[in-house]
Amino acid sequence: MVSYTYGKTLLKVEDVSLEYDGRPILKHVSAEIKDIIRPDCVQGQVVGFLGPSGIGKTQLFRIIAGLNKPTSGRVTINGLDRPVRAGEVGVVAQDYPLFEHRTVMSNLLLAANQKEKDEKTARDKVVQYLTEFDLLDKASLYPVQLSGGQRQRCAIIQQILCSDHFLLMDEPFSGLDLLMLEKTSELIQKVSNMDDLNTIIVVTHDITAAAAVSDHLWLMGRDHDAKGNPLPGSHIVETYDLIERDLCWNPQIITQPRFVDFVREVKERFRSL
Amino acid sequence: MASQMNHAIEVFSPNKVISKQTVRWMVGFQLLLLFFIWVFSPTVFLPKPTEVFQALNEMWQEGLGGELITSFILNLEAIAFATLLSLGMAYLTVIPFFRPIVTLLSKLRFLSMVGLTFFFTLMASTGHALKLYLLVFSVSVFFVTGMAEVVSSIPKERFDLARTLRMGEWRVVYEVVIIGQADKAFEVLRQNAAMGWMMLTMVEGISRSEGGVGAMLLNQNKHFHLSAVFAIQLTILLLGLGQDYCIGLLREVFCPYADLTLERK
Repeated sequence: MVSYTYGKTLLKVEDVSLEYDGRPILKHVSAEIKDIIRPDCVQGQVVGFLGPSGIGKTQLFRIIAGLNKPTSGRVTINGLDRPVRAGEVGVVAQDYPLFEHRTVMSNLLLAANQKEKDEKTARDKVVQYLTEFDLLDKASLYPVQLSGGQRQRCAIIQQILCSDHFLLMDEPFSGLDLLMLEKTSELIQKVSNMDDLNTIIVVTHDITAAAAVSDHLWLMGRDHDAKGNPLPGSHIVETYDLIERDLCWNPQIITQPRFVDFVREVKERFRSL
Repeated sequence: MASQMNHAIEVFSPNKVISKQTVRWMVGFQLLLLFFIWVFSPTVFLPKPTEVFQALNEMWQEGLGGELITSFILNLEAIAFATLLSLGMAYLTVIPFFRPIVTLLSKLRFLSMVGLTFFFTLMASTGHALKLYLLVFSVSVFFVTGMAEVVSSIPKERFDLARTLRMGEWRVVYEVVIIGQADKAFEVLRQNAAMGWMMLTMVEGISRSEGGVGAMLLNQNKHFHLSAVFAIQLTILLLGLGQDYCIGLLREVFCPYADLTLERK
């Protein structure tokens, strides 16, 4: 078992509720992501966010990103006593959006300049990330000229350059073949391990892929009445601590029987939602 | 031989992407065919090429060149004003207050120019101003309709991307609406500039004080000088094509990314 401790709270979802036209979508959602501290190791945080289609994951995703306001409650980051604002949490949507009218370099400089004080520092950071992610020779291309994987990396870098160590990823494993799935998992691990404070929330339907990259899983669902009918308004019904179960930070984890059993357990719980 | 047969079949098959050389051969053949039809057509209402070029030569001596310049300058003025006005109004639709106003303006495209002549005559102090107002109005009502549609069709995800990069709402407008849709703005401009050039002859017929190619065309038309009418139409067509080409070139220069996803570019 790897030794670790928890540090300060990095992100907190405080009793968030959301209603549209009186209809509850989210109901008293609460969750917390703490800084994971491993001795002699740079370790970020990765949370897998699972739930059936239509349960409200996207709505909560947008609230965490600061793009929508909840009806009540709030999301805070880094202990600040105010709700999160758009731009503080990076968002990588499913189709890896970039500004099509700007080159890769221009897209990234735009993001870096939003955070850095001077142009030179911004440019140096961009070149550093492009080199790190093997995109330096693509800097003068337009997004439409990139492959899917290149576009993904570019979109991630753009958000990292601008946000405060937070990244929300919407269905990053969707429609990928096995090799691309593994590359994406590696990419998520790489980004999370670039800084102790880097925190990635991965929204996905792929339970196996989520469990393979995450240190915690949030499962979203609805409560049921006595007859088994779902009640309106979803929330996080189950959280899984993979660190405690010794099921993370191991590149070969998916081959281990304990991991397979764990995924089965989560799938069973998923079916009951 | 087999390969040439395949090229020929491809030219008549849907969704085929053909080589630039094939395009050149195809267009060349079609132009040649058109020319033969023109030369050998039995209809008396279609002047022969020699008659048209002779009429063109005569009118050039009479000052066609100068009239073309007069008309083209008016056209450029109208495009400039219409572009500023229409883009401005379309971009203002990001503010809810202006949306009903712009919607109303776009509905004015159903009005007849003939009915507006008196109204603009009262407003204009010169013949040139009258022609300019009429042209700007005619082009703007269509331009603003097209451009407002472009703005309203921008997917929400583009706005969200800008917001996640800490942009304030006005910066979002600049990035996503203005420069983000510049390629589409050029396309809408191209189409409406063509419409404006086409309407110019009508407008020059309303106020003939400055002359212009439209006034010249109407005079020749009145006297059934078909060769002269065709000759003037040819020059109008060539100038229009030149205008279209220049706007297309500007689009390529300022928006080199615009055609990268298209199959036939």
